Amino acid sequence: MPSPCRNGISPQRSSRMKRIEVKLSLSVVAPLLDVIKSTVDDLGSSLAAFSHLHDVDEELRATWTDGLLASQTGDCRTLLALFDREFFANGVIAFDESNAEAIVRACAAVRLRLRERYLKTLEDDVLESGNVEIGSLPEPQRKAFMCYLFLATIQELIIQHLDSSIIES
Amino acid sequence: MNFAQGKTATTPSARTEGELALQGLWRVVVLNDPVNLMSYVVMVFKKIFGFDEPTARRHMLEVHEQGRSVVWIGLREKAEAYAFSLQEWHLTATLEPDEKN
Repeated sequence: MPSPCRNGISPQRSSRMKRIEVKLSLSVVAPLLDVIKSTVDDLGSSLAAFSHLHDVDEELRATWTDGLLASQTGDCRTLLALFDREFFANGVIAFDESNAEAIVRACAAVRLRLRERYLKTLEDDVLESGNVEIGSLPEPQRKAFMCYLFLATIQELIIQHLDSSIIES
Repeated sequence: MNFAQGKTATTPSARTEGELALQGLWRVVVLNDPVNLMSYVVMVFKKIFGFDEPTARRHMLEVHEQGRSVVWIGLREKAEAYAFSLQEWHLTATLEPDEKN
């Protein structure tokens, strides 16, 4: 499992409302959204993580998979909703108790699929350490890796500031 | 979500070999993956199992260093619910019979 990463995001926290607002660099993040959106589209009909099911009958297996897919789809929709008109106007996205859990999970799903689709050539330990020379990656992989880091940073921010809200919800 | 609802009720005499195999205790096992953050896995363990920070970290490190950790042992129905929750958080979780019991 990788360590936290940072890529220049500036969070502002309001402890009373348990809400954090993050000002993003539009010029950095906007180009990544196409990759995130296409990865979310890709997740529409398949699970991000392989589902291990042993000794389970077909009916339960179908119910199980459908439940996971519905949850994944809802989470991804919440993630994409972050990048709304306000984001494109001023670069701000906001997390609170109502969306933090879904977003942190959606980030995990998208990161897993990015790894599967674009980052397979990177060894596990390289990916975990984050010690990747981004400039040396070919273009589709470079953008995917930047998305991968960006989403990890979002997760870290949410866990750092809204961890208790998620655990207690 | 109650996975027991998906199963058909049967009398003991009608139970198949497969159903009998589901009796006893089951382990919920989390497997390592190179993608999910350590802090994320700790948070998920705290949320799903109610672990305190040291326990959650111990299981996370076990997953990270040994490739797997048994995070819960108990009856099949509840083990399924835990496995579903872990998979909902995109952790690789599986069930296996607890051979000791």
